[in-house]
Amino acid sequence: MHSYLWFFGKRVLQLFAVVFCGISATFLVTHLSPIDPVEQVLGRLSARSNLSPEAIAATRAALTEMYGTGQPMLQQYFNFWARLLRGDLGPSLLAFPTPAMDLVTRAMPWTLGLLVTSTLITFVVGNLLGALAGYNPDNRFFKAFGLIAMAVQPIPYYIVAFILLIVFGFLWPVLPISGGFAMDVRPAPTWQFAGSILAHSILPALSLVLVGFGGWFLGMRALVSNVVNDDYVTYAELAGVAPRTIVGAYVIRNALVPQLTALAMALGGVFSGTVITEQVFNYPGIGSLLIDAVNYGDYSLVLAVSTVSITAVAFSIFIIDMLHPLLDPRVRAE
Amino acid sequence: MDRRSFMLGTAVSALMLSAKGLAFAQEAQGVAPDLAQFPRNETLIIHNPEGVIRNPGWFNNWVVGAGSGISNGLHQLTTDTFWLIDPDAGIEGASENAIYNSLADGLWDYNDDFTEMTVKLKQGIYWSDGVEFTADDVVFTVEKHKATPGLSQNGAYNAQVETVEAVDPYTVHFTLKGPNSRFHTLFAVRWTGAWIMAKHHFEGVEDILSFPNDPPLSLGPYTLHSYDPNGTWYIWQRREDWERTALGMIAEPKPKFIIYRNNISPDNRLIEMRNGNLDMVHDLSPEATFSIIEQDPQIQGWFPGFPYAHPDPTLVMAIFNLQKPLFTDKRVRWALALMLDARAMSMASYRGAATLSAISVPPTGTHPRDYHAPLQEFLTNYEITAGGNTVKPYDPTIGMQIADMVRGQFPDAPTDEDAVRNAFGYGWWKQDLVTAEALLIEAGFSKNGNQWMMPDGQPFSFSVMVPTDGVVNRLGAIIAQTWAQNGIGAEVEAASDTWDRQRIGNYDVNISWAVETWGGHPDLSFFLDSYHSEYIQPLGTSQPDRNWMRWQDPRLDEIIEKIRASDFNDPKGIEYGHEFVKLHLEEMPNIPIMSYNVFSVQSNRFWTGWPNADNPYANPVTNWSNGRYIFTQISPVEGAV
Repeated sequence: MHSYLWFFGKRVLQLFAVVFCGISATFLVTHLSPIDPVEQVLGRLSARSNLSPEAIAATRAALTEMYGTGQPMLQQYFNFWARLLRGDLGPSLLAFPTPAMDLVTRAMPWTLGLLVTSTLITFVVGNLLGALAGYNPDNRFFKAFGLIAMAVQPIPYYIVAFILLIVFGFLWPVLPISGGFAMDVRPAPTWQFAGSILAHSILPALSLVLVGFGGWFLGMRALVSNVVNDDYVTYAELAGVAPRTIVGAYVIRNALVPQLTALAMALGGVFSGTVITEQVFNYPGIGSLLIDAVNYGDYSLVLAVSTVSITAVAFSIFIIDMLHPLLDPRVRAE
Repeated sequence: MDRRSFMLGTAVSALMLSAKGLAFAQEAQGVAPDLAQFPRNETLIIHNPEGVIRNPGWFNNWVVGAGSGISNGLHQLTTDTFWLIDPDAGIEGASENAIYNSLADGLWDYNDDFTEMTVKLKQGIYWSDGVEFTADDVVFTVEKHKATPGLSQNGAYNAQVETVEAVDPYTVHFTLKGPNSRFHTLFAVRWTGAWIMAKHHFEGVEDILSFPNDPPLSLGPYTLHSYDPNGTWYIWQRREDWERTALGMIAEPKPKFIIYRNNISPDNRLIEMRNGNLDMVHDLSPEATFSIIEQDPQIQGWFPGFPYAHPDPTLVMAIFNLQKPLFTDKRVRWALALMLDARAMSMASYRGAATLSAISVPPTGTHPRDYHAPLQEFLTNYEITAGGNTVKPYDPTIGMQIADMVRGQFPDAPTDEDAVRNAFGYGWWKQDLVTAEALLIEAGFSKNGNQWMMPDGQPFSFSVMVPTDGVVNRLGAIIAQTWAQNGIGAEVEAASDTWDRQRIGNYDVNISWAVETWGGHPDLSFFLDSYHSEYIQPLGTSQPDRNWMRWQDPRLDEIIEKIRASDFNDPKGIEYGHEFVKLHLEEMPNIPIMSYNVFSVQSNRFWTGWPNADNPYANPVTNWSNGRYIFTQISPVEGAV
């Protein structure tokens, strides 16, 4: 117990160090970016109408004051941490004066809903089939699955997404191709709204599942192929243990540990969103928000998304680290 | 409970929780419309090219950078300004050169030295809450902006306006801080402009910078019906009293409802239009346009046949960074121009659907009448002397050659000479490698094998900056490739931040536009004013979004100053414009190539009467506010519901 607490304490310190360094690095990178939000706004203004040099100078001064971008970087860095500790990430610069966290809060549930669901589906189906394929290497059905996985795996994501779009949006238009829910549905906890969300998420989710499934399948098949040759599996078979039990309790459980680590990373990564999916299916989410923020030089918004993402990834890994000793006796022994 | 029931129950619970979370996150301010109330013969659906609108419930478009949508119907349907200028001909009733008197009752009236401007306002215009629009609204708008940094025209008004007063309820008088013959253009810009605020609506607002203005008070013939809290669609409903608006005084806007949909990827636009869910699309790729027009006879482009695209009043060009020593010699710039092949550029970028321009004025709107046609003789006789030889580099038949090239695939490409000029441009430079070589040698360059060396003995190499995709990307690739084939070390550099880099001069050659004109008016001040040397900054410092090449020339300043000192409608303005074109040709600070053609398409399935090359009453792009005049000219297709 004492060693577990020591292990826990070290990991907590690491967690905070990672979060602090990650957020600080993001702050540095965004503020060293050559994209200046003030110039972005000025550019849009002067592209639309004739502004004299004096008018441009006056507008630049006003925006610099409003956005606080004229302060020395160190000052901005301390201000940022002071605000962050109060839970305030400042106003978004591309949607001034709306708080950046409001935009993140609005976009995040879409990303989480789509990516967590599709990642879990992909993980479960890919690993289950991969395990069965690894345990039954001569089975025709699983061999066929292996071929499909290998064939689909190298296809670029956007091609798969585009094919789905054409098939289900144009040739056989049965599924919505755009947005998170239908125009005539009001966001509310109703069956109608839930159904509309579900319908609009089918194509983006399917595209992610189709592309993501192969990786889990092939990875698990390779892991299981090694595990099935271990002595304890042979012993269990000789001892007459039911194949179902061998696969479920011995093979999958032991092969799953590295896959769970990868799952934690994947789940942590969902907080960054998936830009291509959101663009192809015009799906609301954090990915396109982040791209907009980068393109506009919106420091606050980039930092808000990054802070959530860094924290989520760090916590995911932390939780898996904490669970590893419980899942894998070998880790516990170490 | 068995396992199946448990799994099903868990899934349903997750779905409902997700719905609840999402509903909470969207803050559900928008009202979900009942789509049954929007019959297609009363409803127009328009593609807005904006991405996701991040602040969907924000309608205070006077605050700079608030993240609200602008082209989502807000500035087309609810705002108004004194005048609007269409990049095309304008409908009957528009003033000379497609200038519409919108809130103004006539054109601007300056005093002799352009230090004062008086505007007469139309009577009988009302805000959507029933309050009459008067000069007090204008005065309030200007004074509020002057007093509030962070409002869009704060800098413009403070720099230019000394005082503004309401002489009577329908007359506004501006006293300017200095002579300015183009002050009125602040109130005439066709995309955005100095929109007028309602005094009675805003004067009680304590902090205007944090006031969302939801729902917006409308000065146009539509009011907000509902919007997506996710920021992807807006629905507007025609006012009962639409006749009491400036647009309504011209004609009845026909659609009862107008829906703007944004954040639609190019593939989805194509599918949605084909499925009847969009009536106007802002733009498609050339290939998508060819495909949809071929498949669906109800869909039209600007020209009745190939090349379909509308020539935009912006001009794509190869822009030299004149603050880099590489391009300080105009012989080098001309040599690079003469190495290019117009046919190859047209085919590679627009698949032949390009409208070429050899001069620095886009071939659109009234410009062929005012610039391209009158300058043909000058261009045809234009001479370049190099290596002891004098050549006439202009080829007026290039458009015809391209039309002949594409006719095999597109039999509807025009054959008539005037139609070819209209669609493919008046001509371009011949590819003349001999003269190009002679110019480079005169400039002190030499050749080492197939590589040109600069006078200092270094290889003549540079990067050609292009956006990451689209027709301009393809154009840049063929330009760099052509130069490379002819011994120049030109390499394509695709950049996602071209706007930021061109603004501070961080490039060698940039494929972009540096010219944007009114289109429907010959005055060139819209871009030319900011070509003045007073705007030039050292490399690394921002300039206004024109004159990317940082071209500085006292003769250019002289022309600009003459334009500034003349009236907007003075015919001498065209003469000055010709002077500019000739100076530009002599210097070739950038190589004008082609109009930035936009593949705006419209569907005749539910609505008809769209503008086109035969009836060019309005620019067909959907995001500019002058597109509002289209709504008065279209009509529902009989039997379409």
